[in-house]
Amino acid sequence: MISLDTFLFILASGVLLGGLYALMATGLAIVWTTLGVFNFAHGTFVALGAYIAWQVTQSVNGGMGFLLAAALSVIMMYGIGYLLHFVLIKPFERNANLVLLAVITTLAAASIIENHILIGWGPRDKQIVPPVSGAISAFGASINIYDIVVLAVALFSLLAMALFLRRTSIGRAMRAAAQNREVAELMGLNVSRLYAMTIGLSAATAALAGVFAGSLRFINPTFGTDPLMKALIIVILGGVARFTSPIYAAFIVGIAESVSVYFLGLYWAPAVLFAMMITVLLIKPEGLFGHRSRTL
Amino acid sequence: MKYAPPFHRTNGFMPVLLALLALVVIPLFFSGTYARHTLILVFIYAILASNWDISLGLGGVFNFAHIAFFALGLYSYGIMAKIMGIDPWIALLLAPVLAIVFAAMLAIPVLRLEGIYVILMTFAAAQLMLQIVVSQSEYTGGTSGMVLLPRLTIGEYRLSNDGRIGYYYLALLLLAASTAFLYQLERSALGRAIKALRDNKYYAIARGVPEGRIRLLTLCASAIFPGLAGGFYGAYLRVASPDVFGLGFLTITLSILLLGGISTLWGSLIAAFVITILTQVLGDYGSWRNIIIAVLIIAVVVVYPGGLHAALQELWAAENRVRTNLMAAFRRHFGASARAAAMKAPDRLVRTTHGNVSVCDTGQGDKVIVCIHGNSSCKEVFRHQFAAFRRDYRIIAFDLPGHGASPNGNPERDYNVEAYAEIVRDLVDALELGRPIVFGWSLGGYIGLEYAAAGNPISALAICGTSPINKFPDDMARGYIATPHMELAGKRFHSPHEKSQYATHTVGMKKGQEPLLWQAVWRTDGQAREQAFSKLKTINWPRQTRLMRDGTLPFAMINGPNDPFINHEYCRSFHYGNIWGGAAQNVGNAGHAPFLEDHKTFNSMFREFLQTLP
Amino acid sequence: MTETPLLELRGLGGGYPPISVFRNIDLSVGMHESVGFFGPNGHGKTTLLKTVAGLIDPWEGDIIFAGNRLNAEGRMRARTSKNLNYDLFRKRRIRAETVVNAGLIYVMQGNLLFPEMTVEEVLDIAPLAAKGRTGITAMRQRVDDLFPRLQERRGSKIRYLSGGERQMVSIAVGLLALPQMLILDEPTLGLSPKLRIELAQAIRKIRDSRVPLIIVDQNIEFLTGLVDRLFLFDHGSITREIDSGSMPKHAEIMTMMFGEAN
Repeated sequence: MISLDTFLFILASGVLLGGLYALMATGLAIVWTTLGVFNFAHGTFVALGAYIAWQVTQSVNGGMGFLLAAALSVIMMYGIGYLLHFVLIKPFERNANLVLLAVITTLAAASIIENHILIGWGPRDKQIVPPVSGAISAFGASINIYDIVVLAVALFSLLAMALFLRRTSIGRAMRAAAQNREVAELMGLNVSRLYAMTIGLSAATAALAGVFAGSLRFINPTFGTDPLMKALIIVILGGVARFTSPIYAAFIVGIAESVSVYFLGLYWAPAVLFAMMITVLLIKPEGLFGHRSRTL
Repeated sequence: MKYAPPFHRTNGFMPVLLALLALVVIPLFFSGTYARHTLILVFIYAILASNWDISLGLGGVFNFAHIAFFALGLYSYGIMAKIMGIDPWIALLLAPVLAIVFAAMLAIPVLRLEGIYVILMTFAAAQLMLQIVVSQSEYTGGTSGMVLLPRLTIGEYRLSNDGRIGYYYLALLLLAASTAFLYQLERSALGRAIKALRDNKYYAIARGVPEGRIRLLTLCASAIFPGLAGGFYGAYLRVASPDVFGLGFLTITLSILLLGGISTLWGSLIAAFVITILTQVLGDYGSWRNIIIAVLIIAVVVVYPGGLHAALQELWAAENRVRTNLMAAFRRHFGASARAAAMKAPDRLVRTTHGNVSVCDTGQGDKVIVCIHGNSSCKEVFRHQFAAFRRDYRIIAFDLPGHGASPNGNPERDYNVEAYAEIVRDLVDALELGRPIVFGWSLGGYIGLEYAAAGNPISALAICGTSPINKFPDDMARGYIATPHMELAGKRFHSPHEKSQYATHTVGMKKGQEPLLWQAVWRTDGQAREQAFSKLKTINWPRQTRLMRDGTLPFAMINGPNDPFINHEYCRSFHYGNIWGGAAQNVGNAGHAPFLEDHKTFNSMFREFLQTLP
Repeated sequence: MTETPLLELRGLGGGYPPISVFRNIDLSVGMHESVGFFGPNGHGKTTLLKTVAGLIDPWEGDIIFAGNRLNAEGRMRARTSKNLNYDLFRKRRIRAETVVNAGLIYVMQGNLLFPEMTVEEVLDIAPLAAKGRTGITAMRQRVDDLFPRLQERRGSKIRYLSGGERQMVSIAVGLLALPQMLILDEPTLGLSPKLRIELAQAIRKIRDSRVPLIIVDQNIEFLTGLVDRLFLFDHGSITREIDSGSMPKHAEIMTMMFGEAN
């Protein structure tokens, strides 16, 4: 048997991971549901977001610097994501092989971003200094305040995004474009711009996740690989039937990861997650929380 | 019915033979190990990419665990040869076993999934393999991999000696074997079943293609040579590192496949040379190399998604167009006397809305016969009719665009039955032919029918070697007997062997006897064949059928009893309103072109028909 | 007809490159008339309408609406290469946005709409195209009157609606764009008889409110009762035009299109 504080420690780190993963996976999921393509460059969005933030914190110190870094990173990544749509996906949006072509162009984009990071920032590990420190203890386990902040901000941004998509007319237009492209066009909506905005939004959440992840662990040019894999596992595990499906799945994966790291060790944890994912795919290919349809 | 000639009779034979010879000879001139090393890498990538096409192109299964087959082959070789101490040659041969087992396991989830889910599942499965390999560090060396794997030797001779020449030829042998395997697979019953499942899954299943077994075989077949190549890679470089599972390796292989073109065997082979040599040339630029290659990939996919193979095809088509057009121009000038001698009348170019056409016109008589030749032929095919009827009729024949002495036309606009019928109309206007009698042979029969059905002036219609069609394409299958040569009629590029096959079957004569017709097959613009055939579906067939059923137009159908293409039973059973002699007539002892092969009998029969006209 | 036409098609041709689907369509529809299209399936009616609506580029000819040409001038350049990505090099010759903003609204066949949105949400975003124009509130009121059934189901997601209800939402979305002219593509396709009658009544009301209609349908009685002129469409071109004075019976039209049965 494990003691209560160990249990709480595992749970807390799992929930924190879950919050980060939820940010990463939601970004991937909205692009998938809207454009029907899988963005293999999503992981490098996370990495690039982290590097941009790190660069800003080098010139502006302290809590202000962190806020500025996060804001700049999110805005810049929104712009990069927006522009990439016109390079990577728009040119063959009418092609029957869109899915496969998008895989190759996003893979290539991932390679370009990763190598640019390598050229620009070098291969050495870096870390963003967290703006808050200290810990509180509850039930005998000590929890970092910053972890709580990260979790809260992550969940709050997801909530804000959900409200944006449900309540604002531009968000509704994005959902309309995701659900039926032709009819959206016939309503006079500029579908290309809405798609670009979706990718921009996805890149912005990825950047936020990158800022947090980069302040919790070291960043290096291949930093994006792990988030991509995690987001992929989560999106498949949870499905994309609802906006919330990948969020639930993110917490399941986060907790499963911290449990298997504790009991099986660092090397086996990814294998456990992949095995979990493949099992779900075999039994319920549409994911744990949903039916097989594209929605946003 | 599928037309599948043996490889040595296709157009691809000579280039492949030359390329193979060049690859055999090259290392004798380039003794440096660097050039040979680069080529060995080319061969390995070519094997990987071309075999990936079995699942990705042929099968439509987006298997992103393909590189894992290679990696598993590599690690199997390492473990068997180094840890278990098995003889390296045997280890090499056994290297694909694990990859095939993995492929078989993949088939189970792939069966249940579709589209993007297959990509994600296979991608994850490959990552799972990577995690397992990394976690078993006492056998696999974990993240740092295995080094100093046993090398291949023949007796005491190491394959790496003499500038790695042994490895070079072994890799070339592997590539040749893999290519032969792929070529045969695509043409086998299994290959066709795989394609059927890709193109229309449920129809294929309904027709008895076992989905589970075929998917299993697809994946297993695509694992054999990558597994072997992985084993070879281990024996050659003597290291096995988990990097081979990584995105970089996947990206390069996928880019080779896409640059070459999906669903083409030769494309990925050529692209393997281009990409691998490019990566080697750019090797000094480090990260910039990867960026340049990635940008190149995006550019190709975005601008020209067909890839290298399609580009070569287009170049070839352009060459064919220019060459056939030059041939026609040359013959217009230098072959005029031979043609005039055959027809006893000179020919000249007449302008129509679909370009100039070469027309031969006897120029006298009130009653006019217009003769329309068939696919890949020319107007001289009617020379016996010119001889027999010129005294009583004004008789006219012309070369369709892209045929005979006419110049090539615009493939999209000019090469279809409707356009051909408009040409007839323009000729009738330009030469003031009034209401002509139209005689059409084979494809020309449809042109005549279309001309009449569109409401143009005509006083009688005779067709030969043409089956009436009401519903396309269903009646095509009823009206014609499916032979492999039917496929040739719509094929763009004929190999020399195919050209002579086609000429022999349509005209029924040997090369020496009919030089003009023989030349015509060579001269025909390949696009004319392809376009006219592929646009058959846009013809208003019921309108033609109505014309034949109405029976207001004097109409005759005269076929050769030994015609290898048309279904006489069907032609006879078709309902005509007013057909000469009450049914489709057979003449003499001829094949597809009775007016040429047995012209005396044909001409007397045709004259009988003409005499029934007012 | 002496009045200036509202919609005029001049020598319009198009299709899915390289396959030409319809050619040489000349047509003009007046300010206050409704016209119908009738013809066998798969002969290019929907492709023609999609071209007019701006979803597909026309190859040649012009689409003129209320005096303005909606498409780019000239012919579309022919494809010379099979593999070049023409989406990249050829600008769109017509945009759905332009057509919608001009007031020509196309209601698609099949009416899948947005399966995961509620009726309410869909009707709320529908007037986006007509933003800034007056009359949206009045039109919303009219839509509610026309389709009381939608009022009852305002909270339901589209995926849970029946085919007829979805068609009603489609038409409502079209009306909320404040159309100068409405194109309905097979509105009664696959509906139960009861719903078909209900929908037909609504469509008649729309016509009576002087919104000109172009309507394609397989139900010839419904069409002949509704439109002023009927066009028979066969093999990618208009083969015959029939005036309202001499609307023929179903069997007569069948004969015109397919000849005597044999």
